[in-house]
Amino acid sequence: MSGDEMNPAAVAQAVVDVQGDDRWMSQHTRFVLECKDAEPEVLFIGDSMVQLMQQYEVWRELFSPLHALNFGIGGDTTCNVLWRLQNGELDNIWPKVAVVWVGTNNYEHSAEQVAGGIFAIAQLLTSRLPKTKVVVLGLLARGERPNPLREKNAAVNGLLRSLLPQLGQAQFLDVGEGFVHSDGTISTRDMFDFLHLTSAGYRAIAKPLSDLLLQILEETPEERRASLV
Amino acid sequence: MSAEDSNPAATPTPCVDTQGDGRWMSLHNHFVSNSKDKEPDVLFVGDSLVQLLHQFEVWRELFSPLHALNFGVGGDATQHVLWRLSNGELAHISPKVVVLWVGTNNHGHTAEQTCGGIMAIVQLIKDKLPNAQTVILGLLPRGKMPNPLRDRNARVNKLVQEAVSSLPHASLLNHCYHQMSLIVAFVCLAPLEFD
Repeated sequence: MSGDEMNPAAVAQAVVDVQGDDRWMSQHTRFVLECKDAEPEVLFIGDSMVQLMQQYEVWRELFSPLHALNFGIGGDTTCNVLWRLQNGELDNIWPKVAVVWVGTNNYEHSAEQVAGGIFAIAQLLTSRLPKTKVVVLGLLARGERPNPLREKNAAVNGLLRSLLPQLGQAQFLDVGEGFVHSDGTISTRDMFDFLHLTSAGYRAIAKPLSDLLLQILEETPEERRASLV
Repeated sequence: MSAEDSNPAATPTPCVDTQGDGRWMSLHNHFVSNSKDKEPDVLFVGDSLVQLLHQFEVWRELFSPLHALNFGVGGDATQHVLWRLSNGELAHISPKVVVLWVGTNNHGHTAEQTCGGIMAIVQLIKDKLPNAQTVILGLLPRGKMPNPLRDRNARVNKLVQEAVSSLPHASLLNHCYHQMSLIVAFVCLAPLEFD
């Protein structure tokens, strides 16, 4: 594994406001504020795949009850997520699980670099929050038909499968099954723009994810002992 | 009146695939072929604000019953919508109403240019669908605090309002609580007024 300073995808970087309304920083500031009062058991962090999930019914049904926080920002790369985690979005919270979903927006980086960036995020989480389990979601296929980004995302997933076991508290979860049909196409019923999930698309991935989260949340022995006191 | 090619916001321009998965063109082709066997009374066209509308329950409740089609593409600016409508998305349908919501992504363009882009789309719709009404939705404020984009969007709305005031086939609905219900009323009234 090349040193982090040689992997641009593992360099923390804030988003520069080019549009003129400073929304990225506004969202980051809001998340830092949320950390002050919230006591989440689950933290979701990543890009629009995370952010959009909160807009659908499935979030209220499956993840709100788990006391989950959603720190997703559309367009984020691994660099942006690293910056946010290093600049306040982990302050004063001790979630039992952190769900990481990022990497599909790393257009400038190779699959190896992206996997390295995601690994760096998992490393940061396990070192800041040693008791927290980290679940890294695989990147989904994208585009209506087979294309280089599908291959790249699949390569990232393959690398993560072998890298993540190095961190005892981290695991990889592939939620992409079923989106690519036998003719190689993705349907707008699952991804309305061949990238972002519809309500139905989120339902499909939410089930295996919430099953895993419930399993992890039920596993924490310290809390069980504490509640018996 | 500035010539179309001196206003980039009013020059039909396809989106270049910089990411590598051709999604913009896929969506455009999808809309063109989708329109071949549909007979929508209402067509929604624009950017992500239109596109996302389709994902929420409110679409099924309020707009599906009106036989509405959704041709929204996230990130589109006026020149992209102009290109899409010039290249097949209006070829096979005759909606009574076209709801147009675009302009907030015209980064780098002035309010005047953006208004010019919106009005170019209105003109195109009139050329292709002479009997249709165009309802332009006002650009929403954006950003947590006051900022230049809010000012720009408000100025676009003002310019568009002035431009459509003399046009019988187009109107602006500026953001207000009853914006969407007005569209419903409009569509219901349309057959009485424009047969």
